[in-house]
Amino acid sequence: MEKSSSEDSRRNAHSLSHGGKVVLFTCKPDPGADGSERSGLTFRTFYFEREGNAFVKATEGAAAISRKLAARMDVVTCESALDVQRRVKTPFVLVTKRSEKGGSFQYSLLTLAGSPNRLEPCIEFKLPYQMKGKVRILQGPTVLWCHGNSAFYTSPLAAGVREVPVQTTRWLFGELPIHKGQLFALGLSEPLLTNQPQSTLGYFLELGQVFDGSLILPRPYLCITQCVRVLRADGEGDALRCAVVAATSQKQLVLFENGTVRDTCELPFEQADDVQVVNTGRSGCLLLVLFKQGHVCAVWKETFQIACCWSEVSSAHVGDFLGCGTEQALLLFGGPGFSREPLEKFLITDLCGISYSSGQDSEAPKTSLPPQENSLFTLQALESRLQSGLNVLQELEREVRVKDRVLQQSIQVLAEMLSGREAVLSQPEQEGLVALWDSDEGSDGETLDDKMHETPATSSKPKADKLWHRITGDQLVVGLILSAESGLPASGVSLSLLTEPGQSSPAVIQSRSQVFWLPARGPPTPTLPASSSGRAFSEPAAKRSKRRVAGDDPEARRLAVTAATELAPLLTSGCVKCRAMLHYAEEGEALVPESRPATAVQHCGNVSVDVHDLCQTPLLQNPQIRSDEVREDLLSLLTVLDHWLFRIDSPDYSLGDVDGWIKRREGFKKIEVSPEHLLLDSPGCSAPMLLRWHQINPFQGNLSIHSSQLQMLQFLDSMLTYLPDSCSIQPVKCTTRQSTAEDFASALEKEVLSLREGLSSLLCGKEEEESNKGRTGHEEIQGPGSAEELIRCRREAWQQNVEKSRVRLSPLVDAGRYREMIKSISKVKMDADLAALQQAQMTGQLRC
Amino acid sequence: MMSLLAKWTRENNELAFNCKQQNDELNRDHNNLFSHRRCSSDFHKLLRKLQGIPPHSDHAQLELSVVYNACVCLTALSHFEEAELLLTQAAHRVLELAGEDRGTSDPSVLWRAALKSVAGTALHRHVLSLLCLQWGIWLAKSCLNPIKEFQEEMSLLERQGGAVWDDCRTEAKEKIPNIPRLVLDPRRLAELLKICTAIVQGAERLNEGWNTLSALQAAAALPAPRALIAYTHLLSGSCLAHMNRPQMALQCFRRALETDPRCACALYQSTLLYRQLGNVQAEIQALRILHSTLLLPPTTEPAPAAGRLLSPSLFLCSQSLGSLLSVPSALSVLHSLALKCVIHDRVSEGVENYLDLLAALRSEDQHGVTANTLTAHAVVSTLPKLPRLYLEAAAALLMARRPADCMALCDEVIGTILDLLPDKVLLEDPEDGSVAESREEREEAESGLVKLLWAAAAYLLLGHCYAQQEDWKQAVTHYTRCFNLLVKVHCKNNAFSPQVSAPDKESNQGVDLCVLQRLKGISLAGRGISFAQMDRLREALRDLHLGLQALPEGVSAGQWCGEVLWRLDRRREAAACWEKTWSHTCPPLAEALPVYAQELQSGPLLDPTELRSRLKELGPL
Repeated sequence: MEKSSSEDSRRNAHSLSHGGKVVLFTCKPDPGADGSERSGLTFRTFYFEREGNAFVKATEGAAAISRKLAARMDVVTCESALDVQRRVKTPFVLVTKRSEKGGSFQYSLLTLAGSPNRLEPCIEFKLPYQMKGKVRILQGPTVLWCHGNSAFYTSPLAAGVREVPVQTTRWLFGELPIHKGQLFALGLSEPLLTNQPQSTLGYFLELGQVFDGSLILPRPYLCITQCVRVLRADGEGDALRCAVVAATSQKQLVLFENGTVRDTCELPFEQADDVQVVNTGRSGCLLLVLFKQGHVCAVWKETFQIACCWSEVSSAHVGDFLGCGTEQALLLFGGPGFSREPLEKFLITDLCGISYSSGQDSEAPKTSLPPQENSLFTLQALESRLQSGLNVLQELEREVRVKDRVLQQSIQVLAEMLSGREAVLSQPEQEGLVALWDSDEGSDGETLDDKMHETPATSSKPKADKLWHRITGDQLVVGLILSAESGLPASGVSLSLLTEPGQSSPAVIQSRSQVFWLPARGPPTPTLPASSSGRAFSEPAAKRSKRRVAGDDPEARRLAVTAATELAPLLTSGCVKCRAMLHYAEEGEALVPESRPATAVQHCGNVSVDVHDLCQTPLLQNPQIRSDEVREDLLSLLTVLDHWLFRIDSPDYSLGDVDGWIKRREGFKKIEVSPEHLLLDSPGCSAPMLLRWHQINPFQGNLSIHSSQLQMLQFLDSMLTYLPDSCSIQPVKCTTRQSTAEDFASALEKEVLSLREGLSSLLCGKEEEESNKGRTGHEEIQGPGSAEELIRCRREAWQQNVEKSRVRLSPLVDAGRYREMIKSISKVKMDADLAALQQAQMTGQLRC
Repeated sequence: MMSLLAKWTRENNELAFNCKQQNDELNRDHNNLFSHRRCSSDFHKLLRKLQGIPPHSDHAQLELSVVYNACVCLTALSHFEEAELLLTQAAHRVLELAGEDRGTSDPSVLWRAALKSVAGTALHRHVLSLLCLQWGIWLAKSCLNPIKEFQEEMSLLERQGGAVWDDCRTEAKEKIPNIPRLVLDPRRLAELLKICTAIVQGAERLNEGWNTLSALQAAAALPAPRALIAYTHLLSGSCLAHMNRPQMALQCFRRALETDPRCACALYQSTLLYRQLGNVQAEIQALRILHSTLLLPPTTEPAPAAGRLLSPSLFLCSQSLGSLLSVPSALSVLHSLALKCVIHDRVSEGVENYLDLLAALRSEDQHGVTANTLTAHAVVSTLPKLPRLYLEAAAALLMARRPADCMALCDEVIGTILDLLPDKVLLEDPEDGSVAESREEREEAESGLVKLLWAAAAYLLLGHCYAQQEDWKQAVTHYTRCFNLLVKVHCKNNAFSPQVSAPDKESNQGVDLCVLQRLKGISLAGRGISFAQMDRLREALRDLHLGLQALPEGVSAGQWCGEVLWRLDRRREAAACWEKTWSHTCPPLAEALPVYAQELQSGPLLDPTELRSRLKELGPL
């Protein structure tokens, strides 16, 4: 009951602030009618008297609206708005009368004008329904309301009730504080297509123009915004820039700037009703958020932190009630007794020193918030101020550091100048750069020599167990398995292929040879190849790498030697039969470390290549099989595929279960004949991939990959996501087929680069001189007098240009520098020639 | 115009980038608290914006990412409560999105529901990473039960981790700007949490007496920072030590050290084990290494673990783990090292260590800070009081035949405490005196007794010094001073006579009384010997007899008593006295008693073989 009566009183007693005064509108019961019917509207204005600390009535008046008796009259809303015609802010009040028969509702907007104040009718209109929801009176005066899915407005200019020509379920009204004043309505646009997202739609009432409403309020906020106020705006149309605050149903006050969320503030209450701005002068702006349950919350606009909260507030107004030049907030407190003693309990404050109150317990806390929470808010506000101060401080510190550095450098230079030395800053230093590398040239020789000191074990004549061949990809692989008894050292062994002696004379077929260890008995597992790559007959022993898998006894293992060669030249040259020759270091000679170990050659058998052998290898079909064929497949794959060995090192983060990770990856299958190898042969990939992971300790491991380069890179890339960030992957060694070609290419590239750089540096020096000369020459062409003079000047300039380009085409350069450049370039060229020669030899050999 | 989502995503990505960068920059000066605070407040602000609108599936990924980022920053600041609040909120919003928020408050029910509601969608891995953070918070708060409850989900997370986060990486790699960046790879977080959980659980179960060896060994194979792997080995070692497998335990400790050379707790545990095994040399060696390890400057925390953002120590705060990881301070290690050396015939080394210790104490006194407070290990201080350290050092110097240095130390002790000495100490029988005496009185008496004993010991050592320098007169003077101090202690209850031989280890007073008695015996014996040297044989005999009475097992007193008797021509008695003395074996120095209260064999010695030959001449009794 109490609630309803209070609501009733609120509905019928409306107040607004205008010009530092409070205006109260009340519907008076008509003396002639019974108590419940009202037809007269009275107003009272009050001003604040500091001495008495109370509101004093200034004027009073009444207006009879309805001549008809028994027409019930109600105040719908009252608001101060700009009267466009008179160009002053004027209080307006909207009242409604329901006619006897019902069905139609008579509305009239009254204004309080003149001195002494009188209520004058402004607009009158009729509606077939009663206004529900929020009704706004904005500049114009314009009355805006919604009904159903439409928004309506009326104003003296509009002449009659107009409908916003867009229909949406939700409407928000507001005005932009720009000089011309723009009233807008925001709504959700209906999507044209069902899957199209809804967007905010704006409509300027005066212009009758649709605009992008998300400039004011982003779409997701439209549905949850309860009230909105534009703080500032400039620009027009789509170039609109504005700052907006909106209170949302998610208990937040949100500050938007140009359609993006700038800041948010958690509100302690729900159901915000209105946001007002209090300009407190030098202390900044306060945002006053009014809530339906009579709560009011003040938020500092600068920090966007809650300043104060009040409850049991019947209405809140903003104005200069004290007449001091800045605005204050007036909070009227009161429950049901409001209409009798309207301005008895109040508080005027700007939270910055001004505070007048009456009828309130001074002891009683003004806020409904527990004090702890309140101090928390204060703390937050302080913290945010502190933080901004800190930012400034940090910036200053940064500046000081820069200045210090500059000072130090200058002091250093000065000191050096005083002591007679000239401070030399290198070019990169001047730019704050550090040289990436110092050029140092190869030191391959020593390592090569080292490798030659391999001590081969004693050997008799090697005994071949089996000779086999495979066609893998576009290569022919011939393999030879030596029996364990032969005990050859891996370093001296290689296999080469000769053409069948039947044709003219046996020629060497270009091939690459590799050596693998196989265990003598038990499951045959080819281990890491103690491989070698080199051309047959061209120092086969010199390029042996001495990698040997430690731990196992080499005596107890067999050797497998393979030779791979391109299949196509072989077939085109018609050579389908070839001889396999085994090369190995002879005993005795090799024991003398200085001498190059003499190689012995042994014919191991013949291989005849059949083009119809191009069948699928059993390994790729089923890696689970354990047979000699599968092992041979594996060996041939290991021979043919490019090989990379990486050391993966993660010094402070253990690697975890890398093996498990590889096995979990799709497509990797364990090879039964060599369980440490994993095979990836997905149909999408061109070539199969062989992987072997060997963990040294929890922080280190070796990864050996046999695959194409692209596949290797892809695999490493995916592996990097698994490995810890701090780990390093270093290539230990790689063997690729393209090595000579790559060498050649890089040598050529180097040549081109050095040529370009040398020339450009040579010419640049020249150019500079030229340009210096040119500048002095051009100074003459100033102030053209007559036409002939002008032409003469132009001609001269043109001739100069011609001369310049001629010089540029055949420049004169310093002889010393030129010689130097030629010297360096010829050096580079020699390297390139060497690489080209090697490459040519290779292709030549291939051809024969 | 950019959409709100794109803007917010960009804001998140910028924040994440800044956060990472600041972290990298500041990690060097160990001062990233401020940057973390700033990051967390920035993320929180962004989150407030995001949560200002109703949950929407378009925004959900971004929102969950921001929740994740904010919570990582909060966790790094140890603000677990706030982080948990955000996580719960996020879970509720996920449910709200699915339209099935039933407002449950039980976290496990909530998370299960949240996971279920996003199963099979792109949000799943986001919710999983949030759950991961929740796991970390549970761990940090030592709530192991919900972790056990979610074991299944965690392992799921682990198992599909690879695939799911690989997707995440590839997405991120595509450089699409609207993929929200995370400040920390969730997989790294999961890895870190997994090993931390294993360690904490291992420690808890170890404390409860379970065998957790297999779990710990499995944990050692996890991808983790070095220090944490070392902890798993350490815990395995402790477990083995509990199972009475000391050698295997030592192996584990060694492995811990190999993994992380700074794992001081492994060294400390090994010293304890060596002590238990009675391997003195190894113990001394281990103590020495431990000491030098502790002296190393604290490293720039080897925690690139979870992108340096989250330190493992955040999650390793269980109590039972703390007790396992605790290591005494460098100074107490140095003290035990010095004492061990002195007791086990490495006097010169012991002296050096004692001098180092005193120097360190003095410099620490000046600087007022301990260098090792920064280390992650809890520091246990077991260092004795300063006068006792001085006296021990003095005794060591005496044993090393450096009487002048010894005297300087003793003088310092006497100078410091002489004015504080009580005139008289009245002791009561601890068994029945509790009623009569108030606590303070007894404490005062005890502290008086302790000071008295220090002063007396200082005089005793001075006496020894003079005896060593053969200044017998001075020696007698100082032995007398020592004795005079000792007789100030009275026992109230006459029936309560202090037991000499067996020090009652339970009460301090027992030890003190034992020390008192020994000091009496040794000082009397010393004076007797000095008298004997001065040829005042009667007085010598009297003192030696009294000394033997006070300390029947005194070796030098016994020998010299015999010698004096011999000189007095009471050869039979002398022989009996010697025989009796020899029947006692000369006790080695023990750790239970202060070194200075034991016989240091620093005074004039008698050659036992010569005595025996004399006995032979005397013939059979």
